[in-house]
Amino acid sequence: MLQGSFYSIREAFGRTLVKLGEEDKDIVVITADVGDSTRASYFREKFPDRYFNVGISEQDMVNFAAGLAAVGKKPVVADFAMFTMRAWEQIRNTTGRMNLNVKFTVTHAGYSDSGDGSSHQALEDIALMRTIPNFKVVVPADAAEVERSLPVIIKEQGPIYYRMGREYSPSITTGMDYKFEIGKAYVLKDGDDLAIMGAGVVLWDALKAAEELEKMGISTAVINVPTIKPIDENTIEYYARKTGRIVTVEEHTIYGGVGSAIAEVVVQKYPVPMRFIGSITFGRSARSQRELLDYYGINAENIIKKALELMK
Amino acid sequence: MGERDGIPISIDELNKLKAIAERARRNVIKMQFYDHSIHVGSSLSSIEILTTLIFRYIRDGQEKINKDWLILSKGHAAPALYAVLHEKGLIKEEELWKIQAIDGLLQGHPEVYIPGVDMSTGSLGQGLSFGIGVATGIKMAKGSGRVFVIMGDGEQDEGEVWEAATHAVARNLDNLIAFIEVNGYQLDARTSEVKPKDFLPDVYKAIGWRTFSCDGHDILSIINAVEEALKARKPAVIFAKTLRGKGFTPIENTKIQRANPDVARQFLLNT
Repeated sequence: MLQGSFYSIREAFGRTLVKLGEEDKDIVVITADVGDSTRASYFREKFPDRYFNVGISEQDMVNFAAGLAAVGKKPVVADFAMFTMRAWEQIRNTTGRMNLNVKFTVTHAGYSDSGDGSSHQALEDIALMRTIPNFKVVVPADAAEVERSLPVIIKEQGPIYYRMGREYSPSITTGMDYKFEIGKAYVLKDGDDLAIMGAGVVLWDALKAAEELEKMGISTAVINVPTIKPIDENTIEYYARKTGRIVTVEEHTIYGGVGSAIAEVVVQKYPVPMRFIGSITFGRSARSQRELLDYYGINAENIIKKALELMK
Repeated sequence: MGERDGIPISIDELNKLKAIAERARRNVIKMQFYDHSIHVGSSLSSIEILTTLIFRYIRDGQEKINKDWLILSKGHAAPALYAVLHEKGLIKEEELWKIQAIDGLLQGHPEVYIPGVDMSTGSLGQGLSFGIGVATGIKMAKGSGRVFVIMGDGEQDEGEVWEAATHAVARNLDNLIAFIEVNGYQLDARTSEVKPKDFLPDVYKAIGWRTFSCDGHDILSIINAVEEALKARKPAVIFAKTLRGKGFTPIENTKIQRANPDVARQFLLNT
């Protein structure tokens, strides 16, 4: 089921970015000394004149990108999710207030920087970024969805926060035939009794859980919600009505993240019982992202447990 | 190059600029009748620099890469910017008196939807990085635009300024001119009491900037510094000695930002 390293999320990002750079000469890439780690370095190799490493200085990186956008360039910031948060106020006060066309494409989100531990694991970024007016927030599910969605993200006018992990990318959307649209949720599996909704690589666990629940006679839908803002209210409401129960799953804090965004829709459109799976504490070091997801219960086993609670 | 760079200023033009600065100064003092919370002291520190840049150097234009950019990184001096933009004809007088009013155009800190404002600022330390982005974009597009960034001395406490200071040198931006107003005060106290600032010119120079100085209330002195800075072929910074509250004696050269409206009214009547 797991793909080789070639299909890592960051590899898909780096390679797709180069293709986009060939099509649009206005795209410039800015990083804060993590070009190799984010794979933005592939862009540097191809277009050295359109690649800027500002050094280890995220606040400067953010407003430098904003300045480039102000004169018509299309800046793509490539950075770690954690350290982009460091410049949240610059993102809010310059890019957000001026509604500038800057794309924040961040890697190493969630537990994906497993070994480096809690200082490097971004579990609060979706909550922070979705509160900024003018911003859109997108979380692709896997490497295939990066290849499918990044061109759409870069072509969209206005600021976007685009959140990725590092290597780990179990196949979720590979082979699926759909056109990625900002603001749209996608049905990975249909079902009538319960809906699992979420974003990112943890949807693999959602699909595994759904498989097990089906064996128990529980017809389970799995919905991929890659755009957290603006969120697909219609699909969420439809499945709230259809199934009457929702479990959300995310590699992010449950306070203000994907589950919260879904709940905001559900309580206003069609309230149903919900359960939230995600982080509630700082992380720790481990040898792999998978170990951490299991350690913190962001996995199929826990999804099944919560689903059965809702079925009682 | 700007079409008037290097041309010596005539007595007539100098007198005209002085008169503009004086009207702008009086309008800033008057603005506090209408909203008592504006930053009068910090604004009066910036009047002559803004007047000189806007009336002598800044070239307007629709083309983003061939116009000059003015970034008021010390965004709390917005009333001074608005008063000078009014002299330029970009902001109506009645808007000045509606500053910070809910139905007014003029916000407490600059916003790009206000005519003549190139960057939304207000949170200190953010203007220089943005200016570097603009200046870099202009050079990439082979445009003729130049970028002027005005900062305060207290603002130099911000880490982002240091991130940007070395970045400007790394990019070798000769189309970037920064002003640092040295009025010796920040919000709570004298700058010297909060964090040392005297070393700033030496540090900027050591990093690789060309450094200049001027009397930030003397238009001729400002022009001389800008002329030198424009020829620097490197990022250039002008340390402008100014007085907080300059020309408004009830608060001049103190940390006090504003006076009682009655005091301001009496001052305007007597001068």
